Amino acid sequence: MKPEIPKVLEILAGTFLFEIAPNVSPAYRKSSVGVSALLLGMVREEWDRAAARRVEENAALRALFRDASPDVTDTDLRRRLDEAAAGGDPSLLVSELERANDFLRAQLIELHAWVEAQPGPAARRIDDRIWRELAASTERRKLALAPF
Amino acid sequence: MEHELAPRIAAYVRRRLPHARDVEVFDVDRIHGGASRETYRFVLRYRDGTQTVERRLILRRDPPGSLIETDRANEFAAYRAFHGSSVPVPEALWLEDDPSHLDHPFFVMEELSGFDASPQNILMPPYAEHHEKLAQQKWSILGAIAQADPEKLGLVGILKPVALGECWRRELDYWNGVIDEDELAPQPIIRAAIRALRRNPPPAPSRLHVVHGDYRTGNFLYDKEGNVRGILDWEMAHLGDPLEDLAWSLNRVWCWARDGRVGGLVSKERAIRIWEEASGLRADPEALRWWELFSSVKGQAIWISSGREYQDGKNKDPVLALSGWWLMNAQDRAALESLGKLS
Repeated sequence: MKPEIPKVLEILAGTFLFEIAPNVSPAYRKSSVGVSALLLGMVREEWDRAAARRVEENAALRALFRDASPDVTDTDLRRRLDEAAAGGDPSLLVSELERANDFLRAQLIELHAWVEAQPGPAARRIDDRIWRELAASTERRKLALAPF
Repeated sequence: MEHELAPRIAAYVRRRLPHARDVEVFDVDRIHGGASRETYRFVLRYRDGTQTVERRLILRRDPPGSLIETDRANEFAAYRAFHGSSVPVPEALWLEDDPSHLDHPFFVMEELSGFDASPQNILMPPYAEHHEKLAQQKWSILGAIAQADPEKLGLVGILKPVALGECWRRELDYWNGVIDEDELAPQPIIRAAIRALRRNPPPAPSRLHVVHGDYRTGNFLYDKEGNVRGILDWEMAHLGDPLEDLAWSLNRVWCWARDGRVGGLVSKERAIRIWEEASGLRADPEALRWWELFSSVKGQAIWISSGREYQDGKNKDPVLALSGWWLMNAQDRAALESLGKLS
């Protein structure tokens, strides 16, 4: 689409913030227009990376499950991890990638809770790997305007 | 053009103040204020004998959907309890549970006008040069809230009591429940945080304290000379552990200047020292760490809940969508930091 989507969103956000909001009353609606401009700015930031970050994260989670699986002694959990690890993203549609991501992150919660309850170095190794992936997941989602 | 609420508010005031003559309500204007209620400012004018009385007031009305489901009676009681004390709050006037007057229950209080509350403006001139003074007042007032005796304030019969050893569990169970009910996507970081909190509960406080519940930059009024002029948004007030309030005030997501200064004002260590001096309490580092991690769970529950309200179409206020987008990942990072897992 031309003009490019990020450019359109950038201009719209500026128009909302600097041209429309100052001329809107009452205060509550003016503030809502300003907030809407901020939302457009965030959509602009997210739009370009939306598919890429989900593909990257889904692959990272499947690799983590493959790595953890041999040490998972709960056979039902292990089977589900193996199935999840063997799967792939159905398409590059963001909605489908998001559905796959939700499924994989739900599996991750189960694996993490299970690992925490296990003794031994193998469990600690998986635990460390999960924490590293969780930290990486917040790097992928960082927004320029976020406070932290 | 007259706001549709103006004549209805005036009719209500006539019932409340039967001696008042020529009651007028004007300049009704909805403002953003607090997450859980619709907030309107308005001017009330009436004749009382030979005198004309004019007051700037605030109406807080329950909305169809909100960030947090809270009991308006608690908020109203907290304002009443602290009015006239060293904790500056507006005067609370009328609490109304009957929805027939203004479609939803509401309460009315004094407007403390002419001050700022913005977490962004406080970072800029003329406020920036007063950060130390603002911090001194902000955490001293929080210390005064911690020091207050809920029994003497008349809050014990209103705010729900809790066993000392159960303060942490009641709060954690509640916000855990909000996440269970409202989450739109799995939350692996916050789920891990909840498990860690349950494995290592904090020590009980020595007595029950009043907890404001949302004490942060953005919820107090300040002036250009660096004075805190009003503590607002008591909608989550409850009885509990005072470290809960301290930890919430230190939450990373309120580091608006993005440089580690808590509330955009001073270092975390400085804020804790001010609070300890004012409250006469010690912020045990281990216990405080627990409550800081809990703050991330509570924060995330609120952002999740706001996202759910917006997604379900119950409330179209864009600030609900903004809360979810802007703060959820930051809150996850704050949780990781509290857990020592932010690489």
